[in-house]
Amino acid sequence: MYNEDQKIVFHFSSELDIAFLQELYSDDLQQAEMVFESSVQQLRNEQQLAASRFHDGDIPGLKKVIHKMKPLLGYIGMNKLMEEFAAFEQTCIRSATAAEAEEGFHHIKAITLEAIKKAEREIKRLKQHNTQ
Amino acid sequence: MKYQSIIVEDLQVAAEFLKRFCEKSGVVDVAHHFLNAEDAMQFLKDNVVDLIFLDVEMPGATGFELLDQLVYTPQVILTTSKTEYAYDAFQYNVTDYLKKPFTYQRFLEAVQKVSKKTEQINGGSEQDHMFIKTDGKLIRLHNDDILFIESMGDYVKFITPAKKYITHNTIKNLETKVNPQVFMKVHRSYIVNFTKINDIQENVLFINGNMIPISKTHKSGVMQKINIL
Repeated sequence: MYNEDQKIVFHFSSELDIAFLQELYSDDLQQAEMVFESSVQQLRNEQQLAASRFHDGDIPGLKKVIHKMKPLLGYIGMNKLMEEFAAFEQTCIRSATAAEAEEGFHHIKAITLEAIKKAEREIKRLKQHNTQ
Repeated sequence: MKYQSIIVEDLQVAAEFLKRFCEKSGVVDVAHHFLNAEDAMQFLKDNVVDLIFLDVEMPGATGFELLDQLVYTPQVILTTSKTEYAYDAFQYNVTDYLKKPFTYQRFLEAVQKVSKKTEQINGGSEQDHMFIKTDGKLIRLHNDDILFIESMGDYVKFITPAKKYITHNTIKNLETKVNPQVFMKVHRSYIVNFTKINDIQENVLFINGNMIPISKTHKSGVMQKINIL
């Protein structure tokens, strides 16, 4: 039988925006796990698409992909990275060639991969908690 | 009142989140989710909704381009990850502007704005008509032209002195949408324009020679509405 006293409290990792995540998911950690998984999956897909747009020199297309990736970071508690994505969107608007966006693109690629790693660690923690 | 809505959003995660909030609120029904504006436009040509949750930047047409195409004006809540659209949002008279990702609390505040705006519209002189979808067109019917509305299962029939219009809807749904200063439900199958009632005999009323039953449940409501001297 479920005993409220035995309820194990979950704390989001300190490397994430804890206050925002708590507000976003309340106590619904099953939902958090599902959304983290979907967000990571979509970030992976969009990251590939972004690379493809960049290599094709399609900077307006790259901007669209970056715009789509941006809110995904919010759902996994990396709100500060959203600002970097927003800044890179502006770089894309100003850039006529892939060369002009190159430095920014490599930075975005690196922080996306790092974000995915952090989110995957959190998914493991959430899964562990949710199956207890 | 429960709002019929659609979500136009190319980000699946955001749409799922929003659906969950709508369900949790108990006041917003999501009829459909569209991944692009074009599919939503097609749907809105044949269907009427109260509320659109609308992303701005999507593949193909933008959310604002969708609004430009609409022949009627449902309430709109913009859902975007940019704040730069505030001016456009104001120009389009949208009800609220949610920056993704947003919390349940913020979502509820937006729905409350929808509710307030609905009250303003219904309380003013604006709700003197309604649009119904019939024969592939949206037709404006003035309240004063409608004698009564009759249920036909999943359809309803709007009776006017000149014509009958059949549309896909239910009396239960219409009950919350029609102007209560003009219309009232008198039976599970009938809503009447009570300014058009010619006479009442026991449990039936007559409008333009049409006999309409009054159910026991609604009898006292009818008697309160009419002006008995």
